[in-house]
Amino acid sequence: MNLTTSTFKHKTPETFIGNALLTVLILVAATVIAFWFFHIVPENPANIALVYIIALVLTARFTSGYIYGIAASLASVVGINYLFTYPYFQVNFTLSGYPVTFVFTLIISLMVSTMTTRIKEQADALVEHEKLLMDAEKEKMRANLLRSVSHDLRTPLTGIIGSSSAYIDNHRELGEAEKLELVSHIREDSNWLLNMVENLLSVTRINQNSMKIATSMESVEEVVAEAIARFYKRFPNADVKVQVPEEFLMIPMDAMLIEQVIINLLENALVHSRSSLPAELTVIHEEKQVAFHIRDYGIGISPDRLETIFDGSSYRPETSTDGHKGMGIGLSICKTIITAHNGAITAKNHKTGCQFTFTLPESNI
Amino acid sequence: MTKDSFTNSILLIEDEENIRSFIFTALKNQSYKVTASASGAEGLHLAASLCPDIILLDLGLPDMDGMEVIKKLRSWTAIPIIVISARTNEHEKARALDQGADDYITKPFGTVELLARIRTSLRHSRQMQDMSSIHQKPYHYKNLTINFENHVVTLNNEIIHLTQIEYKLLTLLARNSGKVLTYTFIMEKIWGPYTDNNNQILRVNMANIRRKIEKNPATPEYVFTEIGIGYRMAEGD
Repeated sequence: MNLTTSTFKHKTPETFIGNALLTVLILVAATVIAFWFFHIVPENPANIALVYIIALVLTARFTSGYIYGIAASLASVVGINYLFTYPYFQVNFTLSGYPVTFVFTLIISLMVSTMTTRIKEQADALVEHEKLLMDAEKEKMRANLLRSVSHDLRTPLTGIIGSSSAYIDNHRELGEAEKLELVSHIREDSNWLLNMVENLLSVTRINQNSMKIATSMESVEEVVAEAIARFYKRFPNADVKVQVPEEFLMIPMDAMLIEQVIINLLENALVHSRSSLPAELTVIHEEKQVAFHIRDYGIGISPDRLETIFDGSSYRPETSTDGHKGMGIGLSICKTIITAHNGAITAKNHKTGCQFTFTLPESNI
Repeated sequence: MTKDSFTNSILLIEDEENIRSFIFTALKNQSYKVTASASGAEGLHLAASLCPDIILLDLGLPDMDGMEVIKKLRSWTAIPIIVISARTNEHEKARALDQGADDYITKPFGTVELLARIRTSLRHSRQMQDMSSIHQKPYHYKNLTINFENHVVTLNNEIIHLTQIEYKLLTLLARNSGKVLTYTFIMEKIWGPYTDNNNQILRVNMANIRRKIEKNPATPEYVFTEIGIGYRMAEGD
């Protein structure tokens, strides 16, 4: 539906000359075909009227406005009279019944013009409507993002400011152990904040208008290895079982962004699964795409959140059980990144936990 | 050498007050002799007058481009330069390395990481002064040993069979272990100066090496990838 309307839209000329030229062209073509018919089956002039009616429909369809359709219908009525009715090459409206033919042709062409024009208008309105809906959707996503960002930023900042103030204000009374604890809280919160900022920064690598990114051919195992290394740097005690294909794979991507997705999903598995079993990252070469599975063996995702888990709207402060470490914006950023790569990302529960899967196409086309 | 061999001197060029102070404190506590500068011009001046053992250079200086500082320094000295740079700009890092910087460290970083980089760079500059030693001493880390003299690579005491290119690659990385080598640098060293920009051949060879020496290519122990920049081999014992 969408495709056909847009093609019609593109084919409609915008200028007067374009429209007029098209009308003349269609009429000339119709006349040529009519002559050919007239030559083969001279005893059946009904065909000729039909050819012209088709020409009228086409004119109404591919020109903008009513004018050209009406002009074409007048021209064809006169043309039929002039060229194909006896006496040939003379305009003679006194022919018996001809006024009826004239009126009917005119009515048909008017109706067709009106109808096709209306269809075109509706199609345009539909396209416009879809665009508005998409803009609204984008706006909603942006608002959601902003809301969760400000929440997610404020919480660790509160921790950092609080801990450092506590240290400065009470440094005489505090014992060594307490001091160390305050400072390690500061470090923990800042690391969290850093990850947050890196997530936000990664979004700026995506072109805001086209939602596309600059990709280059990257080795899958190298990107995975670097992501894992960065993940271990942040969570030195974490454990991940990683498996990549034996064959050497290069696919187009923005490596920095894909690393961010892998890190976000692994962090999710680590923080939210409430399981001590190691998460698994498995890369599988599928037909025309590469699939990355991140699987944990924890509590899984509650079914009512599964559907909206990537759109950022699943953020609900009252259900955020462990304070600032809510899923926040991480997953909606994953979705944005993978969509920009023309890939897909899904979440599902399995018997003993949950599994996130994202796929990347093997080639840009 | 006339310098006191126990205290290495470090010149820190960084305009951000807080970062300067934290690096200063961290290095001082490790008994390095630190001089700090907040601008490129002053830094260049201090480098010439102090002749430090190592220079830490922030690329985002207010008075001049960090690349310019590297170029000016390299026109007269081989003092190791460690570049301090933000994460998102891989090209900037690669360019700084190709301009002559020895290594880079990504903001934000911990003191442990910084000290490790400094030690590596100092070790390399000492080796450069004593060229003969690096050709003889085998590389050894965990279960991997590379004997440069008789061209033998062993993993768990078993000989690893490498192609000539793979061996050249691995030894190049091992001789510079702990240091990141850019794609451009490696391509030039192995395939000559006029190879094209496509480094796929390098990546394929690295993948083959990985399959021969790493247990799991996705969690390497010996050769690490720095995406968009190059490769770094774990520092030998």
